[in-house]
Amino acid sequence: MTLATDNSTDIPPRVWWSRPASLPAPSSVRHAISAIGLGLPALLVLALLWELAPRLGWINAIFFPPLSQVFSALGEMIGSGLLAQHIGISLQRAAIGFGLAVIVAIPLGLLMGRYTLFEKISDFLVQTLRNTSQFALLPVFILVLGIGEASKIAITFYAAVFFLLINTIVGVKSVDPLHIKAARSMGTSDWDLFAKVILPSAVPSIVAGARLGVKSSLFSVIAAEMLAAQSGIGYLIQNSSLMLETDRMYAGILTLTFIGFLLNYGLVAFEARATRWRASEDKGAV
Amino acid sequence: MSLAPVSPLPVGAPDTNRIALRDVRKTFQLKPGQSVTLDGRLSDRIPVLSGVDLDIRQGEFVTIVGPSGSGKSVLLDIIAGLTQATNGFAAIDGHKVSRPHRETAYVFQQYALFPWRTALQNIEYPLEVRGVGRAARRERAQHFLNLFGLKGFEDRYPSQLSGGMQQRVAIARALATDPQVLLMDEPFAALDAQTRDILQSELLRIWEQIRTTVVFVTHSIDEAIFLADRIVVMTARPAQVKETIAVDLPRPRDIEIRNSAAFNAYRARVWDALREEVSKAQRDWALASAYNA
Ligand SMILES: Nc1ncnc2c1ncn2[C@@H]1O[C@H](COP(=O)(O)OP(=O)(O)OP(=O)(O)O)[C@@H](O)[C@H]1O
Ligand SMILES: [Mg+2]
Repeated sequence: MTLATDNSTDIPPRVWWSRPASLPAPSSVRHAISAIGLGLPALLVLALLWELAPRLGWINAIFFPPLSQVFSALGEMIGSGLLAQHIGISLQRAAIGFGLAVIVAIPLGLLMGRYTLFEKISDFLVQTLRNTSQFALLPVFILVLGIGEASKIAITFYAAVFFLLINTIVGVKSVDPLHIKAARSMGTSDWDLFAKVILPSAVPSIVAGARLGVKSSLFSVIAAEMLAAQSGIGYLIQNSSLMLETDRMYAGILTLTFIGFLLNYGLVAFEARATRWRASEDKGAV
Repeated sequence: MSLAPVSPLPVGAPDTNRIALRDVRKTFQLKPGQSVTLDGRLSDRIPVLSGVDLDIRQGEFVTIVGPSGSGKSVLLDIIAGLTQATNGFAAIDGHKVSRPHRETAYVFQQYALFPWRTALQNIEYPLEVRGVGRAARRERAQHFLNLFGLKGFEDRYPSQLSGGMQQRVAIARALATDPQVLLMDEPFAALDAQTRDILQSELLRIWEQIRTTVVFVTHSIDEAIFLADRIVVMTARPAQVKETIAVDLPRPRDIEIRNSAAFNAYRARVWDALREEVSKAQRDWALASAYNA
């Protein structure tokens, strides 16, 4: 009999920011260093170009203020608490919409994946709604729910719910029938079958859907704030643009990029944790 | 699915009789559009079991051999309460089985461990769904884990264990609830020969202590003889009991017993009973290749 080896360190290398820090893997540290080392020059060149091009008059500094000016605007907005306030509002909207999507999509997906009749009834409706863009529906949300928070939460909900729903259904359908048989032979109740067998089997798929859903929610709330809002990071960017305060606009955009990085890092780490029981070769790519 | 509150039923067997199979028949209805050629005729129904009668005593270790496709797994499913017989019934302790029985445990060829649970959590599972408290089930699971020499592997996920270790966990999980009846469907078939020998001996060592009733399906004649008090030979599909062979070898048994003359004699006897059925089953397969899906 061969002794089992610990596979947890054999995860294929990924780009440095997508690798969960909790997993100690020397090869990935080396990989991370080389990824930064190789990737940094390109970034620096871009930054330098951004700084110099407006200063040398290659491009209009009104549309493209030098990077240093963008950073000083950024520092100002951080110092005054303005940035934190707008980010807080955007994240809160996205989080509420996404949270509602989780609450709705997972139970619904479990039922649709498990009971064919239920799926047949609802599938056509879901397919129709899924192929309607959340942005196309924004005017409807505003008409029905008003210009306030509700319409923004609705759009983030709508942006996430189908990723979660479809992936939950797929996850449920991929449950190994042998696991169900084994569970039943041990006297598992219907409820426990859902909670202790079907749901855990579907977790990798659900978590993958959640990653897409979180991003989609955040992007949607930004877009919605640009179109119709008095607060939020999307509003901040859009309003700065209208006021020709382009240094603030770029500061807002860079902030979004940074949030995107953090979010992706967090989600990948979460996914790795939620699916750490899987054999490493089954682990999906980023 | 909840555990069966069993309805009493007079089976008319002596009270040392743990499992009774009475005229168990099973016919599968194929899905629309599927058909199979049986005795030269096209049919959408497959008769798999055609009247199985068998009594298994309390504490008896019974092995079942029979050609592939003869319905051995279906028979275990019926005893387990996972499949309903088309006709006849299986009874445990005089109660007809209609749903998974509290006192029955089932071990599968493909281990069927939950990959998202650690070894220890897998063994805890049946205790958990029975509502055993956290501390108590942890302690009990740990006991069975140790019993199978898996101390130190509590927190491993199944994907981090070898096949032999996974099957040990699966058997430990089955035994954790002190089942009266242990059903095993080719549990060692996926393992290499050495691991298989080791696990056979381990299973016997533990069984000698707990003496639960075991129904063990296997394709290995040696395994069938080595483990059994009694071997049940099934006919080709549609299956019945062809013959039962009592194995009078002393216990506890050592793996060396396979080299004895007595063992050899059993080997010949089982193979004699099986040969004709296996060739029948092979002819059946030739027809089954006309399976129109
Ligand atoms: N759900 C089902 N629907 C239709 N036919 C089935 C079903 N389950 C089993 N069968 C058929 O019943 C027959 C017996 O199956 P079973 O799995 O019990 O055989 P077995 O004796 O366990 O074979 P093996 O030794 O290969 O495991 C096979 O011909 C199989 O095709
Ligand atoms: Mg079988």
